[in-house]
Amino acid sequence: MLTDWSYALQDWPTYLSAAWLSLRLSLAAFALAFALGLGGALARRSRYAVLRAPAAVYVEVIRNTPVLLQMFVAYFALPSAGVRLSPVQAGVLALGVNVGAYLTEIFRAGIQAVPSGQREAARVLALSPARAFAHVVLPQALRNVYPAVVNQLVQIILGSSLLSAISVPELTGTSMVINSRTLLTVQVFGIAAVLYLVLTNLVVLAAGLIGRVAFKPPLAVAARPRPLDAVRRLLPARSVPNVRKEAA
Amino acid sequence: MTTTDTTTVEKTVARISLSGVHKRFGALEVLKGVDIDVEPGEVVVLIGASGSGKSTLLRIMCDLERADDGDVWVNGVPLHDRKRAPEIFGQVGMVFQQFNLFPHKTALGNVTLALLKVRKLSRAEAEERGRAALARVGLAEKADSYPAQLSGGQQQRVAIARALAMDPAIMFFDEPTSALDPELVGEVTGVMRSLAEDGMTMVVVTHEMRFAKDTADRVVFMDGGVVLEQGPPAQVFGNPAELRTQQFLHRVLDT
Repeated sequence: MLTDWSYALQDWPTYLSAAWLSLRLSLAAFALAFALGLGGALARRSRYAVLRAPAAVYVEVIRNTPVLLQMFVAYFALPSAGVRLSPVQAGVLALGVNVGAYLTEIFRAGIQAVPSGQREAARVLALSPARAFAHVVLPQALRNVYPAVVNQLVQIILGSSLLSAISVPELTGTSMVINSRTLLTVQVFGIAAVLYLVLTNLVVLAAGLIGRVAFKPPLAVAARPRPLDAVRRLLPARSVPNVRKEAA
Repeated sequence: MTTTDTTTVEKTVARISLSGVHKRFGALEVLKGVDIDVEPGEVVVLIGASGSGKSTLLRIMCDLERADDGDVWVNGVPLHDRKRAPEIFGQVGMVFQQFNLFPHKTALGNVTLALLKVRKLSRAEAEERGRAALARVGLAEKADSYPAQLSGGQQQRVAIARALAMDPAIMFFDEPTSALDPELVGEVTGVMRSLAEDGMTMVVVTHEMRFAKDTADRVVFMDGGVVLEQGPPAQVFGNPAELRTQQFLHRVLDT
């Protein structure tokens, strides 16, 4: 048994480089999704129907079709439209477009949750609508939705395993290759699972640290993404200092 | 044809001049023909029951609402002219019932945002003016506090400082003390009183009758979307001509 594990672990450089690819393409897809989400949210809130309508169609189509199918479209169908993408490019495109639809709705909700009095105060101070959005509305909206956005990033990392279906050598696909060579099924997929856990928790840890410095005043502990949050909830509750109460 | 210099005409008229202002929200007619003039340096307090149209009137004066009908001149800007109306922003200050401070910015950040982004001052200049404005409302030492770390009264004073930093020609106050605990009202009305003493032109919607009595130059009683009665506080409070005014004052002063 132990020899099986040590045998399986001999492939560690392959696992690590596959995990590294998973992380990189997830971050690339997230960057695309973030831009699409922000643009989509603005379009959905636009007073012009020519912007609202396509954004609404985008959200509906993407959220109601399987992501695996979207990847097949990006990789197998786009070439017949004259767009030929590498597996990694197609995968990043499909994942980014998919999660961008969810982020559109998340950002839209976050923007809507900013009280209208904030915009009115900005207007009387002569801030243009664009400035008011950039300096007043957006920072508050991002703060509102930060935990939900980080959750979408985790979803991208997990969803990137589907890219094995279009022959991207990411962590899941690579594990399958190693498995068919070694037949150490439990060990190979066990290692892959641990690496996914490490990847997602590293990302959540980084997001928590970013959330701590990026938002003023700092995010409350409850609103800050933390690794192993489900496990932490099993532990006895500690009293959490509250910024507002401390000041009063 | 002789050319009339319209700019000098605008300057000589009252600082605020509304005539025949109508406003409806759907089926509800909130303002039914309001005429009101405010002179430079005057402190006008609008009183009246909820729904009498006083807040709507105030919001029309700073272009947060647009009148359906009538002429609205504020500080020489015709707000009934859709093209020119936005000129008013930055020339007048507005203090809201709910403060509307920017929660992600410190007190100083709130006060300096428009100085930096609209007035295009350097950071040093903006902070100097911002700190002066905070000192004006007695909150110099709270410059680095976030709104959530301040009491309601302190937040409203920061909101006043934010408006003052833009060097406004007129200050509007929309029920500035209605969201405050009773013991915090005094610090806000105190700042407003000192602004009035400095000659600031002010239009105030409030339920603080003491403030109206001792600070207003003129009290305007609104009822059912029209100005029913107006005059010096001693006259309106001491000897109201209209029955509706008497009833309203009876209600608010006895409770």
